[in-house]
Amino acid sequence: MGSYWIPTNFHDFLGDIKEASLLHFVLEGFLVAWLLWFIFRKSYKPHHAPTMTKEDEERIISEWNPEPLVGPTPQDHPALKPHVVTGKAGHYLDVDGHRCLNLATHNYLSFVERKSIEERAVQSIRKYGVGSCGPRGFYGTVDVHLELEEKLAKFMEMEEACVYAYGFSTVASAIPAYAKRGDVIFVDEEVNFAIQKGMDGSRSRIFYFKHNDVKDLERLMVEYEAEAKKNPRKAKVTRRFLVIEGVYMNTGNMCPLPALLELARRFKCRTILDESVSFGTVGETGRGVTEHFGVNRDDVDLIVGSMEWALGSIGGFCVGSSFIVEHQRLSGLGYCFSASLPPLLTAAAMASLEEIEQNPTLLTTLHEKCELVHISLAGLSEVGFSITGHVESPVKHLRLVNPPEDIGKHRSLLHEISQYCIKNGVAIIPAAYLDHMEACPRTPSLRITVNVDLTTAEVEEATKLLRQAAATFLSS
Amino acid sequence: MHVGGHGDANPNTTWLKSRGLWVSYVLGMLALHLILLSIPLLSIPVAWTVTNLIHNMCHLIFLHSLKGAPWIPQDQGDCRSLTHWEQIDNGTQFTKTRKFLFAAPIVLFLLTCFYTKNETSHFIVNFISLVIVIVPKLPQLHRVRIFGINKY
Repeated sequence: MGSYWIPTNFHDFLGDIKEASLLHFVLEGFLVAWLLWFIFRKSYKPHHAPTMTKEDEERIISEWNPEPLVGPTPQDHPALKPHVVTGKAGHYLDVDGHRCLNLATHNYLSFVERKSIEERAVQSIRKYGVGSCGPRGFYGTVDVHLELEEKLAKFMEMEEACVYAYGFSTVASAIPAYAKRGDVIFVDEEVNFAIQKGMDGSRSRIFYFKHNDVKDLERLMVEYEAEAKKNPRKAKVTRRFLVIEGVYMNTGNMCPLPALLELARRFKCRTILDESVSFGTVGETGRGVTEHFGVNRDDVDLIVGSMEWALGSIGGFCVGSSFIVEHQRLSGLGYCFSASLPPLLTAAAMASLEEIEQNPTLLTTLHEKCELVHISLAGLSEVGFSITGHVESPVKHLRLVNPPEDIGKHRSLLHEISQYCIKNGVAIIPAAYLDHMEACPRTPSLRITVNVDLTTAEVEEATKLLRQAAATFLSS
Repeated sequence: MHVGGHGDANPNTTWLKSRGLWVSYVLGMLALHLILLSIPLLSIPVAWTVTNLIHNMCHLIFLHSLKGAPWIPQDQGDCRSLTHWEQIDNGTQFTKTRKFLFAAPIVLFLLTCFYTKNETSHFIVNFISLVIVIVPKLPQLHRVRIFGINKY
């Protein structure tokens, strides 16, 4: 063994010189030298920022001119006179001291004021206290959460549901949980802000198709397919998503779901459907657009809903197959890193859900009211308002037929009309957008929401008021 | 599997610089070599060459071929297109971990040459395997895919 570990003579050490050419030794010497060079190199980060010289620093500091936190604001800026709402925002609400009919807040099924639901919330406070004291995975899960998830999954006839603590963060977390860098998302250009934020977070490549335009989506998908064919190895590791809303908050239109799902199937896209507005309002029993179109719900990979509009609580949920939804329990950032929904709001959402299940006439009435409002508002076209939105949608948008060229004037005109309506007892507000952050320019509009408790007289009164407003502001 | 609660978006960037890893690495190599040596059919030079080849193959597969991470990293797919070697220390070059992993195949090659007594057939096989694992470790080839090999 001694000859193995320690060379006993020079011949052992170098091998047979005649066989081993000099090249071996040269290469070995070179390798040792290279290794030493490698070991003594200083470490660096590739693509580091160029270092600034002292003069550059001085120059930049001297050039810096601090801006005031708030620049000069015109005295008539709407932000200087915010609306103050006192009391509950139910069927009626008090804005700046005016008692107004509420056509502004999303309370489609009138669950905000419902006594029985309030009582359930109060009972829940007595049992659990006000907060859940932690995220779902960290002591924040209370039995009501599990119960609500089970109920939601059962209500939507899908395998599993997960509940988020905030409606906005539901879809904004759900999208980046699945879509990652290098993936592709096809999305309607009129999607709401939460979806846009979710797509920002996903870092995926985004294709916007024209609002509700199946042809345009098909064109984009065909174009993408051609690109993918050129590089099949890349396409193999690229996931494709289709993100749509059931009823669009920004337009009130309903998506052509069957056609979209067929395209998604043809081009192998995973579909994420946001039912924030349509859940609890659209479909015979309030199960959303899938029910409205009679589509098999399993064809949609993930349905996202909000409990803040129809259910009158707070939070959101995702339903789908267990395989898909389970992934969010560790990958949905809003689910993992945010304190869970307070038990009182969970209980309230559960009570609302039970109400929808037990009271199918509620939905029929809502549909009647939606139609009533739609027909009444459609009559305003001769005075200068055009209505967009599906007949069955609880959200309608009133746009000006002949808007001023200047977008600022356009907005302030709508603001004035809204002020006029509030002063005269109907709360109607313009839809608000963060214009510099929206993916596409949004047309300014008055957003009307439908409440199940609206009476024919109230709708007539509101329409009359809008007619007067048109006469005052639009005639010139 | 999901990344645990140690605050790392992707542990692939750091786990190779954990304490005691160099010792474990050397012990692992030694164990592999001793196991091969204990097989009666293999002569000493063959055992060394096989050790070297297995070691370099592990480097090629785990450091230079497989991309991404075995768990779900919290980096929105940042590392999906990167091999483990490129993820080490978030891409910083000439760090201690990189120097160690660069030195390992070279030292092993030199030892193999020594114990195979520079026999030409062994030398050629070992040298080719060395080149295959050394070239992708060069800083010039960071994020570079020659001929598009293993690009996606």
